[in-house]
Amino acid sequence: MKENILVKYNDIHKSYGDLEVLKGINLGIHEGEKVALIGPSGSGKTTLARLLMTLEEPTKGTIEVDGKLLWHEEVNGKLQRASEKHLHEVRGNIGMVFQHFHLFPHMTVLENVMEAPISVLGMKKEDAKKDAQEMLDKVGLIDKVDTYPAQLSGGQKQRVAIARALVMRPKIMIFDEPTSALDPELVGEVLDVIKDIAKEGKMGMLLITHEMDFAMDIADRVVFFDEGIILEQGPPKELLNNPKTERLQTFLSRFMNAN
Amino acid sequence: MWDWSFALEILPEIVSALKITISATFAGFAVALVLGLILTLLRRSDKVIISKAAQGFIEFIRNTPILVQLYFIFYVFPEFGLSLSPFAAGVVGLGLHYSTYLSEVYRSGIDAVPQGQWEVGTALNFSKTQIWTKIIIPQAVPPVVPVLGNYLLTMFKETPLLSAITLVEILQTAKIIGSRSFRYLEAFSIVGLLFLLLSYPSSLLIQRLDKKLNRR
Ligand SMILES: Nc1ncnc2c1ncn2[C@@H]1O[C@H](COP(=O)(O)OP(=O)(O)O)[C@@H](O)[C@H]1O
Ligand SMILES: [Mg+2]
Repeated sequence: MKENILVKYNDIHKSYGDLEVLKGINLGIHEGEKVALIGPSGSGKTTLARLLMTLEEPTKGTIEVDGKLLWHEEVNGKLQRASEKHLHEVRGNIGMVFQHFHLFPHMTVLENVMEAPISVLGMKKEDAKKDAQEMLDKVGLIDKVDTYPAQLSGGQKQRVAIARALVMRPKIMIFDEPTSALDPELVGEVLDVIKDIAKEGKMGMLLITHEMDFAMDIADRVVFFDEGIILEQGPPKELLNNPKTERLQTFLSRFMNAN
Repeated sequence: MWDWSFALEILPEIVSALKITISATFAGFAVALVLGLILTLLRRSDKVIISKAAQGFIEFIRNTPILVQLYFIFYVFPEFGLSLSPFAAGVVGLGLHYSTYLSEVYRSGIDAVPQGQWEVGTALNFSKTQIWTKIIIPQAVPPVVPVLGNYLLTMFKETPLLSAITLVEILQTAKIIGSRSFRYLEAFSIVGLLFLLLSYPSSLLIQRLDKKLNRR
């Protein structure tokens, strides 16, 4: 896979007060590449994703997206904090699906999916509607277009959230534990949808998950995160069958036991 | 005692003064709605000076009597070259005073919107303004509509205060009738009754509106 690098973390640090959550992350993600991020809870996976989604600002280091700096901007040869306009422009490449869905409760399912293409991309209403319907069909919810989120199951909510993020056609999509808030019997339907999207290929993915089989199935590369650093990374099979560090061995054995 | 024919005779005069009372209420409420929203936004400003100034202004207004504020606007401002009619001064005074309460109502509505709604707004690349207008305000306002409605009713019942700055509203009209005819019973009773007749059905209406808006 020798394509262009889409996302590049360069020596990224993030601290909350005295607590250093990310301790110098270097990570590149190619166009269309599916990267699974695994690691113990509290190791900084969500923080790494939120920096890319511009929900948190790095304490040190830079992030490049599609060749442009995300949090910084060059003005007269000097690096400055990016303006809102610059952030807006670069952010358009990135989408995110959250653990707790965050659907808009005051809009129907269809409106949830249509709103951003109309307001943000300036799409015509009819076009946005058609696109939203196609996307909802893809996630198996075409019969729910006029429903309000409160009437949906957790799995259905997450599938709407996925459709809503997909219609923005990001080059990379972040999934932050998309099934962790779901009842066990609803996990499968969401994983299936994400798998389908992954098989289509074009869009990159940064996938934070504790569903190991699923991660192994769709990821091109698995990154093991521990205490704010990348401890190991490689192709799924290699990492799983041949963990080099003790930490990863322990982490994996815990999961194998759990499942 | 109670004289029906006198009561009927003065009714039209009092009812016509009711128009002043109602216009002052709605105009004052409109000022309070807009100013209250502005105060809420200022208070959320990233610049500490601005949010502190807004907070200080709110505390100042809340901790001084509305009557003193009305007197200042009507009697003191002209000394600085700002003369307002009794009606305008009343509307500004009521609006100003209640904006501080409405700002608190908006704030509670906005705080009740989950943090995730702001985040998903950013993730979908909405602008700051769009996040406010399309995501936050539509969720923050409906739950507080009944509270806003109750403030409207409270303001309505406070309008007799404006007689202190010479506005001839409904209570002032009754007083004038009383001193003219030496009969106070009918005039004041009618005033009380009119307030009741308007307030009570309105409060029922607000309850219905609440049910309708906050059903989902
Ligand atoms: N806003 C915040 N303020 C303070 N500490 C935070 C904040 N967000 C995350 N943290 C801390 O950062 C660490 C990493 O959190 P997170 O990135 O959520 O880990 P993970 O997603 O791997 O479980 C945790 O110790 C967490 O408590
Ligand atoms: Mg997390």
